[in-house]
Parts: sequence; structure tokens; C-alpha cells
Amino acid sequence: MSKFSIEQKTNGSAEVFYLKGFLDAHTAPELESAIANAIEAGQHRLVVNFNDLEYISSAGLGVFMVFIEEVRATGGDIKLTAMKQKVFTVFDLLGFPMLFDITEKEEEALAKFSA
Amino acid sequence: MSKTDSFTHERLTASGDTTELERIRQFVQDKAREFGFSEQNIHKIALAVDEACSNLIRHAYQLDDSKEFFVDISPNDDDTLVIEILDNGTAFDPLTVPIPDLNQYAAQHRKGGFGVHIIRMVMDAVEYFPADPTHQMNRLKLVKKLS
Repeated sequence: MSKFSIEQKTNGSAEVFYLKGFLDAHTAPELESAIANAIEAGQHRLVVNFNDLEYISSAGLGVFMVFIEEVRATGGDIKLTAMKQKVFTVFDLLGFPMLFDITEKEEEALAKFSA
Repeated sequence: MSKTDSFTHERLTASGDTTELERIRQFVQDKAREFGFSEQNIHKIALAVDEACSNLIRHAYQLDDSKEFFVDISPNDDDTLVIEILDNGTAFDPLTVPIPDLNQYAAQHRKGGFGVHIIRMVMDAVEYFPADPTHQMNRLKLVKKLS
């Protein structure tokens, strides 16, 4: 029984990851390998949609730290979107809004890639 | 008005496996709710305990599920909740971890080191007591006040 799942869709030039459930030290490796696979396949424009994510701990945040420099070095980015307040609080506590592009809606994140 | 009538000291025994985190969070949330915390603070307390236990399971216990640790919760008479995490691993004082520098961590592709910072920010007090001749287990004490 997994309390965390990821769905992936290609939208224009970007790959969108839809996270659902609980992202903690147990489930973070699943997200890490999904993002690593996309990057390995040459996709450096990534959007992570948090709409159905109920919980995140720093293990989840750490996943984005691993890849952010790598994708930006090639002109890509990891854009984060549609967070519930509870999830945003954790990003905010650590000052992530300074380093990451966090948008309210997925369309805004996608528009930034096509701009 | 004291909340100490709600429950007394309660203990959860967990093993060195990250699948335990969900059960630990649930235990802490239930007790924090019973004690009268707001939903926002219930989330913060469960997050702090999750961070402490994640570090313990991954680093001190090296994901060894034959090793056990305890999460103790007890109310104080002055409307304060005390959570103690007791372990048998190598003593490590989390309070010695420096405040993470995000830009530097990103450049180094570092994914860890944030948990302790979160704990310090969301709890009112954090203390660490390594095992000694009279206390066989290391003890991390997290304190949160109702208001």
C-alpha cells in the first residue's frame, strides 16, 4: 500500500509531474528516480504540480535541490506549482521561494517555459 | 486551564525503517489534537517529529529495522506538550548542525541537512541529551506551548 503516487504528462515542451499523497523520507526516492529518469531522457523543463499532495517533509524538498542546478545549467528549470498552504509552509520555512520559481497555477508555470 | 487531564504519558515504539514515519506522524497528530493544538500547530509538531525520526532512521540506525526507538509524549501542567525521542544509536547532537545555505546546498546538489533547521523553527524549545551512565538512551526533547 503506497500513500504516494506520481503521474507524468508531457505538455508542450515541458514534463509535468502530478504528486499525490504523502512525500516523506520513505517516498522521496520514488520522486527522485522519476525526475532523474526524465532528465536522463533529455527533458530539462520540469513542472511539479502539488495540487493533490497532502504532506511534505524536508526529504521531499531535498529531491529538488539535487537537480535544480543541473537543469538550470542547460537552460531548463524545475517549476513548482499549485501547493496547498500546508505544503507551501514547509518550502517557506526553509526559504525555498528565494531559490525556486513557485506559481499558484500550472498554466503560469507552463507559460514561463514557452515565453 | 490545564489540559493535563486529557492524557498522561504515552509511548510509541518504532523500528529503523522509513515506513514507520506515517505511523509516527499519526500518533503525534492524534496526541497534539487531543491536547488542543490548532491544525496549523498539529502539522508543525508532526513535521518536527518526522524530521527528527527520519534523521535517526537514516543516519543513526542506517535503516536497520531490527533496531528500536521510542517516541514519548507527555503533557506538562503549564499547557506545554513535551515529545521525547529516545534512541540507542551513536550520539549525535542535532543542535550542532549549521543553518543551511540554500544557494550553496543547491550548488553542491545536497539533499539533506534541512530537517534540524525545520525542527528548530517550528518548536518552542529543543534540547539534546546524549546517553550517559544513568540514562541508557540518547534523548531529543521537543517542546511546544499551546499558545
